[in-house]
Amino acid sequence: MNPEIFSKLRTFCRDEAAFEQLQQVLIENLLPLEHEIEQAQAQVEQQKALFRVITCLREPLELETIFQATATQVRQLLSADRVGMFRFYPDSGWNDGEFVSEDVDAAFPSAIARKIHDHCFGEQFSQRYQQGHMQVVADIYNAGLSDCHIEVLSQFQVKANLAVPLLQGQKLWGLLCIHQCKAPRQWQPIEIEFVSQIANHLGVALHHAELMADLRAEVAERKQAEQSIQALNQGLQQAIVNLQVVNQELESFSYSVSHDLRAPLRSIDGFSQALLEDCHEQLDIAGQDYLQRIRSATQRMGTLIDDLLNLSLITRSEMKRETINLSSLAVKITAELQQSQPERKVKWSIQPDLVAQGDTRLLQILLVNLFSNAWKFTSKHAQAHIEFGSLATETDAAVYFVRDDGAGLDMTFADKLFGPFQRLHKIHDFPGNGIGLATVQRIAHRHGGRVWAEGAVEQGATFYFTLKSEAVRL
Amino acid sequence: MSDNTKCILLVEDSPDDEALALRAFRRHHISNEVVVAHDGVEALDYLFGTGMYTERDIREKPSVVLLDLKLPRLDGIEVLRRIRADERTKLLPVVVLTTSSEEQDMLDSYSLGCNSYIRKPVDFIQFSEAIRQLGMYWLLMNESPPI
Repeated sequence: MNPEIFSKLRTFCRDEAAFEQLQQVLIENLLPLEHEIEQAQAQVEQQKALFRVITCLREPLELETIFQATATQVRQLLSADRVGMFRFYPDSGWNDGEFVSEDVDAAFPSAIARKIHDHCFGEQFSQRYQQGHMQVVADIYNAGLSDCHIEVLSQFQVKANLAVPLLQGQKLWGLLCIHQCKAPRQWQPIEIEFVSQIANHLGVALHHAELMADLRAEVAERKQAEQSIQALNQGLQQAIVNLQVVNQELESFSYSVSHDLRAPLRSIDGFSQALLEDCHEQLDIAGQDYLQRIRSATQRMGTLIDDLLNLSLITRSEMKRETINLSSLAVKITAELQQSQPERKVKWSIQPDLVAQGDTRLLQILLVNLFSNAWKFTSKHAQAHIEFGSLATETDAAVYFVRDDGAGLDMTFADKLFGPFQRLHKIHDFPGNGIGLATVQRIAHRHGGRVWAEGAVEQGATFYFTLKSEAVRL
Repeated sequence: MSDNTKCILLVEDSPDDEALALRAFRRHHISNEVVVAHDGVEALDYLFGTGMYTERDIREKPSVVLLDLKLPRLDGIEVLRRIRADERTKLLPVVVLTTSSEEQDMLDSYSLGCNSYIRKPVDFIQFSEAIRQLGMYWLLMNESPPI
């Protein structure tokens, strides 16, 4: 207590005994007050430090910066010799780790980056930390610690140790360690409370850091995805360019096929005919027959070239989608077929009002091919029935069909049906060049649909087609 | 059978096709003189009195030009374009007679004002028939423009 105050107080007392009594009263009452004031001041300082640590945590700082600032603040406030953040290596089972951040009195060695094998602390040790327990040791040599534990601490000249768990969520991430190296130290409850609060806040920072790392990983992943999409797009664009080039080549190829391949055929046919006419006398029957065969072969080849060109035209030509009444188209086509051979007895069943979206010209070609096939393959039957209709389906894409009760199909060869120049019947039985169904398939494909067939020998055939992709209706 | 005062200009580079065309004319008794130009430049030389035809009186015009499209030097489409662009020949009957059935060739030919577009068939008998009809129409029935 201030001696000046005492000397002033002496003048108010009537004698020495009274002054003695006054002094006694004052000391009994003032000293605890002074102590309380000191404690309150310490608390204020701690609150301030805590506040600074929290402020630091709020800023978008790296974990390292937060640790460093916190270590400095805490060491100053507690007048400790070393404050360090110890981190367990992930997947080491809390056996190994190192100090990742530290603030240390210059008189003592740094503990940073020194690998510490904690096996001697034992499993229970880490479990206890995980549950939030802390280690409070005033004097490491008189606390019943194991020899190897003492060895670990003494290599950093630790005399007194206060270790508080740093939890990342539920997981034990590491320890906040306060070391006293000069001498043993009795840790005050208020100090312990303070350190544990700091540790809680660092836990929050750790959690944030984890979230941030996740977020960064996600951003990186998205960037990666974007890049691969871009690469994919570039690849696609390249593919489109390549396709255009191929198309142009195809275009000029068909042009030269159209012109150059037909020209020699005309010569062969023309001069064969000239021979037949001009040298008739010199040629015997066999010679004339050979020339006729040459001529019909050339003409057949001419037709094949034309068919091929028409087929390629179907793939190349521009497509316009419009609403088409397939039923009325079918009525027109079938009427023409019937007119071509009025004597044939064919019953036509055409489902009315089948409306589709597609290219009129192409769909007309498709239907002409399917009906001509049906007409052709029923020609050996005295009576025939040809149907056109659509099936109820699970999808948005209507399934249309053309069904006949004619010569039918051997389903063993069904996969060959739609290839160009594929024929399943002898040319003498049913004439044709094998291009019709290939044409039908290309037209269906160009509309995004497909075509398939069902049938059995002498039991008729059904050809199905769709004009758009069959995504299942939701 | 035909008005044989005027010639026919056949623009054709293939000797085979030329021989076959001449044979078809003969078979159908088309006796008009047939002048053959073997490429586009030669055809224009004949019509405009240039090159090897500098001496020719170009007032004498063919009754019809049979024009192949695929020709060396200057192609048929270009020949047609120049014929139609020139006052002296813009009304001259031009029949495109070609192997090509390309839509584009047909469109180009018609939009440049060809009078007919005939695709040479592989079958000689059909070809010969086309020549006959062609001769019948352009040499016999058609009234030429007063040029």
